[in-house]
Parts: sequence; structure tokens; C-alpha cells
Amino acid sequence: MRHRSHGRVLLTTAALVIASFWAARAQQAIPGQPSEAQAPQGRGRGRGPAAPSEPTPRLADGTVNFGRVPGEKGIWNVPYITNMGMRVVDDSGQSLAPQPAGRGARGAAAGGGRAGGAPLGGGEGTAGNGGRGGAKSEPWVPFQPWAAAVYDYNSVNQSKYDPEGYCLPPGGPRMMATPYPAEIIQLPEQKRVLMIFEGATHIWREIFMDGRPHPTGDALNPTYLGHSVGHYEGDALVVDVVGFNEATWLDYFGHPHTDQMHVVERFTRPNKNTLHYETLVDDPGAYTKPFRMAWDIPWRPNADLTEYICQENNKYLQRLTDDFDQPLFGPPKK
Amino acid sequence: MKTKLALGTVALGLLLASMPVMAHHSFAAEFDSTKPIKLTGSVTKIEWMNPHAYFYIDVKDEKTGQVANWGMEMGSPNGLMRQGWTRNSMKIGDVVIVEGSAAKDGSNIGNARSVTLSTGTRLFAASSQAPANP
Repeated sequence: MRHRSHGRVLLTTAALVIASFWAARAQQAIPGQPSEAQAPQGRGRGRGPAAPSEPTPRLADGTVNFGRVPGEKGIWNVPYITNMGMRVVDDSGQSLAPQPAGRGARGAAAGGGRAGGAPLGGGEGTAGNGGRGGAKSEPWVPFQPWAAAVYDYNSVNQSKYDPEGYCLPPGGPRMMATPYPAEIIQLPEQKRVLMIFEGATHIWREIFMDGRPHPTGDALNPTYLGHSVGHYEGDALVVDVVGFNEATWLDYFGHPHTDQMHVVERFTRPNKNTLHYETLVDDPGAYTKPFRMAWDIPWRPNADLTEYICQENNKYLQRLTDDFDQPLFGPPKK
Repeated sequence: MKTKLALGTVALGLLLASMPVMAHHSFAAEFDSTKPIKLTGSVTKIEWMNPHAYFYIDVKDEKTGQVANWGMEMGSPNGLMRQGWTRNSMKIGDVVIVEGSAAKDGSNIGNARSVTLSTGTRLFAASSQAPANP
């Protein structure tokens, strides 16, 4: 628990030093170094149109099959979306963020960052180390002031305290933005859907499809992944999630959220090779209004999930130092 | 084995265009992408472990003759296997060439982007560095 209390101290300290920190960074900004919002055009790679895809597979009862066709392999090649601020869309699906060249007219929708079958990849404008503009570079994200300050802090320290770096699981939409493959397994006879994730500490999600409501009051225990109930709306799998704890970030860039977060996800499979993911994030604890995000996740045929375990030998923790150059774990430096 | 090596070389071009990322921790908090390193050394230790495999090489300074031991971070074993690695691709005593980024703190630690094995095969190291393009 030592590191948790340490974290609180850091956050408190951060609130005090953030303004000067940020001002200093602004002064040091290198002319010509593009921020994410001003990323140069034409750097896109591997974003060409995917090969023609087969039609959407369906289960025996006609429901869209979000997983494998019997007899075939295949996994969802979850993209690396480091900044979900770049995937915010309006109600019609149009991107609110300026999009780099090569990302199609559907904006965020085209954005797994990979053509079909290409390997993992496609981070968001990190430009190596730099290009982190903080909250003011994302005016379309409805930050509350404290959330903007926390986001700025996470930007300045380059996500040093990202919970995923500590092998904690992502929560909410980040499950679909952490670059390890996943599978969706529908169990209609059991009225539930399982999602299994290779990454995110080798984790799984259960979505109850039996019509039950969310627990309320103290029966709703705050957890990393929250409580998911789902139903089909036509060809869409709609999942409603509440009950998140506050131990996760929305994304690698460090958009914060609170335990008031309510997520509504909409999964569609417009063709065999594409999972289209849309999500509404409604967190009145951190944002002034709900916002939508969307991206595509390509199918990777002829592949299986493999084992990935984060907690085995995480040297990041052993070498990480805090804002005062002291080790997060182990004895303090002399 | 020869076929595998040849295929690996052919695959290199494809891989260049679609560098995989196995994100676990903040690359930027630990490494400096503006400090590229290219080291040649003899492998002293291999940790084929999650969430990052590490290997250590003795690197000799040509001018001073001094030998420094460097630790290089790669991706997870499963990510490395998708790149063509096996746990026996590298053995203690092999002389390898590694390209990557140095640690920000100036220690003899680096993040490997690619490794040229003693066989001449170059494999990507499933680096955790996020791609530059959005």
C-alpha cells in the first residue's frame, strides 16, 4: 500500500506545482515541434483501405457473430490508442479532433491505425516523446477544471504514473485500446457474453445478457472493469457499464475519470474484418457533459491469443523515480 | 532453420511498415527516443520474462578498452514470438547488435527496437515505444 499513499502525496503536490511546471514547459517548447493537434500531414503509414472483406458472420439465430466462424481461427487486433481525446466524435460520428492525413472521412471510425491484417500498432500522436499539449490542446474534451489539471500533470510527466505501467488493468473503453488482441465469445444459451483479453494483465469481462439491472447502492462494488449488462439492438451489441473504481485512466495519455463514470458501448461488425466500437462516456465527476468516442478494431485471421502476464518481472517499478527523483519502491536515494 | 531465417529477412520489410507495439508502461518516462543507441556486445544474461524480456551485453569501448554491461528491454515473450523470436534465438556468449533508445537517467539501460542476432538475422524487439504517427 506504500505506493498508494505515495501517489496521493504526489497528486497533492502536483496540484501545487502544476502551474509553474506547465508554464516552464510552455517556455521550453521547441519551435517547429508539432503538438498533437498540429501533427504534420502525410505521416500516416499502413492506413490504406483494407482488403475486401467477407460479409458479417452470423449465429444460427441470425444474431451478429462477434467472434470466430466455427472451424476458423481469428482474434480482434485491438489498436494502441494512446489519446482518446483524438477519437471524440459528435452524434453523427464525425470526429471533433483534427485528424491526420490518411485517416478517412469517418475520422475516428477509420482509426484502428492499421489496415486489415497488419500487426499491432497505431499510437496517437506521441511523436516519440513529445507532442503532449495537455487539456488546452483538446478544447473539444469537456474537462472539469480539476480533470484538466490532472490531465496536464499526466502530460507533463509523460504518463509516468499510468496505472497500466504498474500492471493494473485498464477500465472502461481502454480495454478496447490496449494493444493486445482480444476475443468476444457469445454464449446465447447462457445469456452472457465473454470478452477475453490477452493484455491488460490477461483479463476477461463478463457481460450479462439476461436482462438483470445493475446492482445499486452498496451492492454495486467499485471495480476496475465495472458491472456490464448488455442487449442487442438490431445488429449492435449495446453494453451499459457502471461501478468503476478510480484506479484507472481512460487512456495512456491520462484522461482521468471518477467512480461516477457511466459507459455505454456499442459494438457492431459491419463486415467480417471489422469491429466498430463506439462508446459514450458520461462522468459528471470529471467532465461537464458526456462525450462519444469511436474507432475500428480489425480482425486478424489465423491467429490465437497467447499468454501475456504483466506482474512477473516489472522492472519499470524498480527503476521509476518520482517527481523528486526518489525511487517509488525501495530505500530513498542518499 | 535456413528457411526460417530467409523468411525472417523477407518479413523485415513488412515489419518496418507496421511496427508492433506492446504497450505496458510509459516509454517516455523511462527512455529518451532522442537518444538513439547502437551497441555491439556479447550476451551475458537473458531474462525471457513478462512483461518485458531483458538481455544484458558486455560492450567494449573501442577507445578505452573498458567493458560496460548494458541491460536492454524488449517486449513480452508472446510479443517477441509474434516477431519471430524464440527463447533460444539468443544465447549467452552470442555477439549481437542492438538498436534502440537509451534510458533518460544515463544508466546503462536501453529500450531495444531491433536486435541483429549472431546469425545475421535482424528481429524487432516489440518495443513499448508508441509510434510517432497518430
